[in-house]
Amino acid sequence: MATVTAAKKRTVRINGCVASAQAAKYADVDVIAAYPIRPYTATMMALAQMVANGELDAEYIVADSEHSQLSIAHGASSSGARVFTGSSGVGVQFAYELYSPISGSRMPVQMMIADRTLDPPGDFGSEHTDALSTRDMGWLMGWACDAQEAFDNHLMAFRIGEDRRVLLPQMVCQDGFFVSHITSDVELPDSGQVKEFLPPYKHPYPLDPRHPVSHGPQIMPEQGPPLQLERARAMEDSMAVIEEVHDEFAKIFGRRYDPWVEEFMTDGADVVFFMQGGHAVTARFAIQHMREKGLKVGLVRLRTIRPYPTDRVKDVLSKFKVVGVIETNMGLGSPSSGGVLYADACAALYESDKRPLVVSFMAGMGGEAIVLKEFYWMTEKMLEAQKRGKIEKRTHWVGFEE
Amino acid sequence: MSTKGTHIPDRLKIPFAGITPAPTQEKGQDLFPTGNWRSIRPVYRDKLPPCNNACGTNEKIQGYLDLVKRGKYVDAYALIKEDMPFPSVTGRVCYHPCEQACNRGKYDEAISIRAVERFLGDLGQALKHDVVKAGKPNGKKVAVVGSGPAGHSAAYQLARLGYKVTILEKSPKAGGLNRGGIPDWVLPQDVLDREIERLVELGITIKTNVEVGKDVTWGDLKKNYDAVVLAVGLTEPNSVRADGEDKEGVHYGLPFLREIGMGASKVKLGARVAVIGGGNTAIDCAREALRQGAVEVTMITVEANAEEMPASPEDLHDMLEEGVELVHGRAVTAVLGNGKVEALQLHPARFSGAINASPISVDREVPAERFHVENVIIAIGQRAALKWLPDEFKTDRGTIKIDRFGRLGDTNFFAAGDVVQLGSGQPLMVVNAVGDGKRVAFNLDRVMRGESLEPRTIPIDVIFDLNRMNMTYFPHFPRVQQPMLAPATRRKTQEEVIQAFTEEQAVEEAGRCFSCGTCNACDNCYLVCPEPCIARPERSNGLYKILIDYCKGCRVCIEECPTGCLEGVPELDFDTGVVRMDTAFAISPGLHGRQAEELRNLGQRPAKNI
Repeated sequence: MATVTAAKKRTVRINGCVASAQAAKYADVDVIAAYPIRPYTATMMALAQMVANGELDAEYIVADSEHSQLSIAHGASSSGARVFTGSSGVGVQFAYELYSPISGSRMPVQMMIADRTLDPPGDFGSEHTDALSTRDMGWLMGWACDAQEAFDNHLMAFRIGEDRRVLLPQMVCQDGFFVSHITSDVELPDSGQVKEFLPPYKHPYPLDPRHPVSHGPQIMPEQGPPLQLERARAMEDSMAVIEEVHDEFAKIFGRRYDPWVEEFMTDGADVVFFMQGGHAVTARFAIQHMREKGLKVGLVRLRTIRPYPTDRVKDVLSKFKVVGVIETNMGLGSPSSGGVLYADACAALYESDKRPLVVSFMAGMGGEAIVLKEFYWMTEKMLEAQKRGKIEKRTHWVGFEE
Repeated sequence: MSTKGTHIPDRLKIPFAGITPAPTQEKGQDLFPTGNWRSIRPVYRDKLPPCNNACGTNEKIQGYLDLVKRGKYVDAYALIKEDMPFPSVTGRVCYHPCEQACNRGKYDEAISIRAVERFLGDLGQALKHDVVKAGKPNGKKVAVVGSGPAGHSAAYQLARLGYKVTILEKSPKAGGLNRGGIPDWVLPQDVLDREIERLVELGITIKTNVEVGKDVTWGDLKKNYDAVVLAVGLTEPNSVRADGEDKEGVHYGLPFLREIGMGASKVKLGARVAVIGGGNTAIDCAREALRQGAVEVTMITVEANAEEMPASPEDLHDMLEEGVELVHGRAVTAVLGNGKVEALQLHPARFSGAINASPISVDREVPAERFHVENVIIAIGQRAALKWLPDEFKTDRGTIKIDRFGRLGDTNFFAAGDVVQLGSGQPLMVVNAVGDGKRVAFNLDRVMRGESLEPRTIPIDVIFDLNRMNMTYFPHFPRVQQPMLAPATRRKTQEEVIQAFTEEQAVEEAGRCFSCGTCNACDNCYLVCPEPCIARPERSNGLYKILIDYCKGCRVCIEECPTGCLEGVPELDFDTGVVRMDTAFAISPGLHGRQAEELRNLGQRPAKNI
């Protein structure tokens, strides 16, 4: 087991990738499974340096593909190791086979995602589709909007995923470039704080020749449903654990996050953006400007999409007249014929007595920034719908319409 | 909360999602009885190795080779003794059809089975008490007429069955053809003596100098015994029907050997001796002639070449090494000389194989050859002396008339050995007479117990095809050779020509056995099963079991079985009592397994019940 060099709390200026690497180091991971793909590669570069410098005592394994990378992670986790891995874009897709087996065998592998648009053609820009396409595979999943939040999410995800009530893998996501490669101030904790927050990992049934067990044997068809039910239970049971852990984190580190949604300037708002990830930072500026002009606009940022906080989303969004979903993902042929987040928002609202109008914006696609004037344009669309009492259309392609 | 109010029934609960105890732990596999995925079921079913099948008395050859390999020599000896009363004899004299049939012969060289048999026979001779015991006396008396291989075998098996056996032997010493037909340098007398002693130890009475027809009559036998086995052999030599055959210096093969064997020979051979005949007895006579002082021995055969001679190729080879000459394609048409043999008149001849006419055609149109000899030994076969036998039991070819069970009509008389096998197509060899004696003894026993006689109908599956075994497991390895005396020294002595295996040699040679079609507890299936679902309390044929509830029928054990005793049987062949669709997704352990009842019985069925 590695021993983190005793460090006092300090603030450093690092990007999201390095923040993730720092989190893995503070979590004292045992095994790192790496395979390069931009933009997440910077995380593995940083970890490689830490291992080489002796800052972190971990097995650093370079795989020959993402499929191998996740297989290594699966095997290492089965042996009882705390495992850190990661990927971006098509790399996430290439490992797809492993997502269900890892969650099905209840191995709390942690995977860092720095988003990248899926091909074709090659595009380094950020889009959430890579990780979102795996959202129903039994992994805990949520987006950070800046490097500090990414760091914090990693630590909390280890604690949640490794909880005996949960034992599920986690995808800790951040936007490529906007978070992964933008430098900002990150407060690194005292190692004693981490020690207090995150106990050493111990799987209840690791592979161990002295105590033989079977992982992932072939089963009878009728044995499948109970296992799926168990996995569904674990996902649901994680919700209470997630809340506990966020409380605990706030107590120890002094930063309190709402585990499910961040509400920004929603007091008295009629229209709100509903979105995930790094573009929320721009959204906050835009909303501040528009509030100064008297427009009743706010932001609801989803922090955890799996497990999806259906009731919480329902309660929050029902307070408003119009909800504008900013997708930053592709859901070709989806209910909104745009992204996939719209359907999740609408599903939460279906049982609400006060359903707002919901409109979807295809913005931040292909890694393009969502600039301030696009937030203003989207706000206008929402306000028009509020005035009209109905939406113009379900999905707007921002930047391509008048 | 969608999972609220859900519950998982006890039978489907596992300790932790996705994780189970190891399959080797007691309860592990119960959780995942994958047996109903199977379409092919592995079944252990021993086939008959070709050696066992070829052996005249069906010795369990693979069985005793396996025991020798494991160092269990006494067990091996006991196994051989089930079918063979005198392995020390056949270990020396047998024409070993087993070795001709041996599958290893198609691969590199056949197993030297006879040498291992001799090793076991000699080991048995050294035991103070034999492993074989007489059966519980059943109060019935049986006479066995003749103490040759067939009589010896029948008496031995009957004693084991509990009969009070008396052997009647017309010669002064017991042994029959074993003693009178086989030279000392092949079978030393003391070896045979020890085997005769073993018969006495079994409680068998041996009366020598008692000749049927002279000292006892048919009526005496009928009156004094509950049953009789006639194993009188072929005692009268055939003649070549040549002019002057009655001259001094003419000898006949079997009497020539017999008198030497009994120590009663007064024969003095000259320097040049001819032996007439091309069979094994002729070869023995030629080699014995050298040992009796002949300088030049020539063997004269009607066969056109050595390959056609009805003799063991090894014996022929050893004879030629000792310097005997061969003359082929000639028949003796007259014995020339003034009262005493001086020469033979030879004509070209060939063996035509005709059945109803003389099988030998002689060309008398060409001028005769004159072949100078001082003695001639005629060894062209024997016939029976059956004057004492009621006519109704005589056949046209001069043998005893029996039914297919060896019985004379509905009497309690049985007959075995050469006296019934002559002309049957069966080679007249020791081991075949032993087998005949054994089978007749068992048939006699059935008649005595009032049971009906049934012909053998057990299907015999003999592996002759090496593709049914996994040859990957058998590296090429040469046969261990038995040491032999050098031809120059042995041709003048009565010393045993072929020497015995050492223990190490016997074990090494037994280790070459493929164990064709028969489980030899190699443990390969146990090791390669990926589940694992092969269980065995210990390494032993018959103790391996497939855990049928878990075996998926992946065939790995079948493919990797070196001997081919594991077979893949289509699951649908065993549909008795099976409701496949009802049980296809059943979790309860055993549901599927119960369908295996028929197959389990199949596995326990003795494959070699012959």
